[in-house]
Amino acid sequence: MGAGIGTARADEPAWTERAITSHIDFGKVATGGEAAIAGLVARGKELFAAKFTDSDGRGRPKATQAIVPTKRKRGETAGFQRTGGPDASSCASCHNEPLPGGAGDFVANVFVSEGFESADFDSLDPSFSSERNTNSLFGDGLVELLAREMTADLQALREGAVRQASATGKDVDVKLESKGVSFGWLAIKANGMADFSRLEGIDNDLVVRPFSQKGVFTSLRQFTINAMNQHHGMQASERFGVRWTGAHDFDEDGVADELSPGDISAVTAWQATLPMPSVRHDLPGDWQRVAEAGAKAFDGLGCAECHKQTLALKSLVFHDPGPYDAAGTLRAGEVVKSIDIDLAKQPWATRLQRNDKGEWLVPLFADLKRHVIVDEGVAGLGNELMAQRFVERDVFRTAPLWGVASTAPYGHRGDYSTLDDVIRAHGGEGREARDAYIHADAATREGVIAFLKTLVIEDK
Amino acid sequence: MRALILLLATILSAAIARAADEPPMKPLGDVPVMHEEASAAGINSVYDGPFEFFVGGGGAAFDCNGDGYPDLFLAGGKSPAKLYINHSTQGGALRFEERAISPETDRGVLTNVTGAYPLDVDGDGFTDLVVLRVGGNLLLKGGPDCTFTLANSLWNFDPAKAWGTAFTARWEAGQRFPTLAFGYYIDRQAPGAPWGTCEDNALYRPQAGEKPDYSQKTPLSPGFCTLSMLFTDWNRSGLPALRVSNDRQYYRGGAEQLWKVEPGRVPRLFGPADGWRKFSIFGMGIAAADLDGDGYPVYALTSMGDTMLQKLDDDARGDPASAAPVYHDIAFERGATAHRPYTGGDLKPSTGWHSEFADFNNDGLLDLFIAKGNVEQMPDFAAFDPNNLLLGQWNGKFAEAGDAAGIALNKKGRGALIADFNLDGNLDVLVINRGSNVSLFRNLGARREDGGVMPMGNWIEVRLTEKDGNTDAIGATLNVKTGTRVQTRYISVGGGHASGHAGWVHVGLGTAERAELRVTWPDGEQSAPYRVFAGQFVVIGRGAKGAAYWYPGR
Repeated sequence: MGAGIGTARADEPAWTERAITSHIDFGKVATGGEAAIAGLVARGKELFAAKFTDSDGRGRPKATQAIVPTKRKRGETAGFQRTGGPDASSCASCHNEPLPGGAGDFVANVFVSEGFESADFDSLDPSFSSERNTNSLFGDGLVELLAREMTADLQALREGAVRQASATGKDVDVKLESKGVSFGWLAIKANGMADFSRLEGIDNDLVVRPFSQKGVFTSLRQFTINAMNQHHGMQASERFGVRWTGAHDFDEDGVADELSPGDISAVTAWQATLPMPSVRHDLPGDWQRVAEAGAKAFDGLGCAECHKQTLALKSLVFHDPGPYDAAGTLRAGEVVKSIDIDLAKQPWATRLQRNDKGEWLVPLFADLKRHVIVDEGVAGLGNELMAQRFVERDVFRTAPLWGVASTAPYGHRGDYSTLDDVIRAHGGEGREARDAYIHADAATREGVIAFLKTLVIEDK
Repeated sequence: MRALILLLATILSAAIARAADEPPMKPLGDVPVMHEEASAAGINSVYDGPFEFFVGGGGAAFDCNGDGYPDLFLAGGKSPAKLYINHSTQGGALRFEERAISPETDRGVLTNVTGAYPLDVDGDGFTDLVVLRVGGNLLLKGGPDCTFTLANSLWNFDPAKAWGTAFTARWEAGQRFPTLAFGYYIDRQAPGAPWGTCEDNALYRPQAGEKPDYSQKTPLSPGFCTLSMLFTDWNRSGLPALRVSNDRQYYRGGAEQLWKVEPGRVPRLFGPADGWRKFSIFGMGIAAADLDGDGYPVYALTSMGDTMLQKLDDDARGDPASAAPVYHDIAFERGATAHRPYTGGDLKPSTGWHSEFADFNNDGLLDLFIAKGNVEQMPDFAAFDPNNLLLGQWNGKFAEAGDAAGIALNKKGRGALIADFNLDGNLDVLVINRGSNVSLFRNLGARREDGGVMPMGNWIEVRLTEKDGNTDAIGATLNVKTGTRVQTRYISVGGGHASGHAGWVHVGLGTAERAELRVTWPDGEQSAPYRVFAGQFVVIGRGAKGAAYWYPGR
């Protein structure tokens, strides 16, 4: 841990069974500037890999997995429970392929239930829960920065339309587009009323939520707080603490204020600085040749309509807290000074290309938009029954394909063991590209697979 | 046995003494920073005058020009009432501009005003004003761009030449226009006035026709010097009763009242046979809210000394047809008695006026605001008597935050208007003071560690709309579900102290980013659920498939 940014327990023996022997002080890190970042990231790595114990506050006997602090109606939550959680001691228990912070195999699937009314549920019954495969977190700092800039663009377009409608007394139609991604149209009536009927792939508050298979979480920070509670029963004080619940020990496990804002910042910082996935260039000649052809076919078949090769990013400075979180996740206005991490200084950032505007080209192979991925003819990915956070059951975020060769199995539940299988499972808005792929000749399909297999997660 | 009784008495006395010695509970959540800026905002409005204006002192907050921002109508007592147009911008400092009330309205009638309530009486989409006066109440018909015309004749409303101090209204079944209930104070012409000479109250039911016709008046007798009244569905029957709070200072043999008001029938008082127990207070203001999420309103009744929190007895609930209005006071156990000033060192009893439940810190818990102030120079009551901001806590209690919030001014508060005047999601409050300019507190957010301010919890603001008649859905109930919690807001007009507001209904959401809304419309019809994101202004039209969002134009 970086010197001087934590609050340590003085009486902790060397053989302690605690994973958390000190809490990070957010303010000290923020005022410590760049010098404090390395220590923060290192502590985040420790916390991500730490096996939390009951001494740390692991478990939540009197609270559910819900993202809004929710008491159990009766009984106690089991110490571990595979479905409703807590279901892991450590973040890295699931996020570990091919490296800590990566994806997970099918065995590491998690269960997404709101946990308000049913803290326990039968995982075999999808009407209570949706089973999801573990996502990779590599490059997610860039993903969040892209989402922030897109949200800013879209909300500025809305504000402009509102002002124009108010000034002119006329209805205004505005095309919602950011970074080459269209989110449809928004109409603002002269009286200030909004018409969202032509919105595409985004919530009607125009916040781009880039995280989770569904694309329903705003920030790494928010996701971290949710996951810490759901999977480990480790409750962050910024959501479960006295300010919002009247209690320092909301889950009644005997440990108060289990994770400080600084602790959450550490885990966030480590995730935000995880290297972006890379492209293999050390390929045998035939693979190289086929992959190059496959990259072109990927575009030609229409895959890149959603899996956009790059999205341009204006700034690489990751401010924590971010600008679009809501109460219960630390917000920019709640701190005197933010923690600012310049991702340009990360070793992996040298791999980022820039366009003629000086913007960083993030090779995400995604559009940070949600799409219907199921139709009547191709419905394999439509295996959930529950909507999540207002998003219908058959609508998912475009999966970023960077690192895809390292993150099998595929699909939001990990149902598909090969890339070919999951491509064939695309219905709905992906149906046209999927059909083009299926109807292409074998060599073209091989090329696409060869190309995708060059997109890997490496420790560099 | 005697020894045992003595022992029990000793233990009980000790317990009370300990309770009394315990320091008051400190708020655990955010304390909003309330910045007083009435003069800076351009408001100069004083409620003053002789004895007739010792009580009253209210106003109305409502959007009279369609820009979504609440405008103001403020009683002046012996001076004319004033209209202020809201020019604030979203999240900015508050700015108002006085505007002459429409030329066609005789300004002479705007003197002697004690209070006002906004209500779209004729269902034309423009909010009208019910103006309470000493010497004859007014109905002002609202028009475009904050214009008003006197509609007493147009709507066949012949007010009693009495001392108007209270108002409430509801739409009775099958009626296109509202039933109006007026409360009056002292009959000054009666022998022996002011003692024991309370005026009867009155109900005005609309007569058949294409426009409001209030030619028929039904007395509500006896009247006991009423200072607040509220139609409220106390038993979840869908048939609101009329709660009336009366000032025991001047009545003889009077009490608090609850009237059964059934369509087409003469109102009748609930009495002991119905379970209604007689009690007397210096009743000044009524607030109603479902504090415990059990579907039943709790009533905050202000008085001189203790404020009461009346909760329906558990065994008095159930089938509305057999439910009995039996209440007990929970103010002490909830820490809401507000019986004396919490700061300033004056230990004499308080004088409470306007009461209203609202969520000032957006934590999802209702708070209780009470306007306070000595009647004039009553020596047995606190002279320095600051307003209360009792913040709701997660243990069901209230914790005083008036001083920390910055509202503990040395003024004589009367009515109050709680509204989001700059549409930033934080509730502001305007207090009408006797003898001095209003206090306008802008809610800046919570105090940050460096002394700055920071955002509080999530929120939504909702407007319900209906066509044909009851455009603002008066009488509707809004349920807001976040996780396992359901918050309830009653859409009503009336209560408080001579003051009311119309427009956005504010709901704090705490850490919830989303909410599911359901509406019980005034006729009892249940809506479909509506899903909304936090931080939005939401408009729900009756029968609409989805909730619509609105954005401020400035």
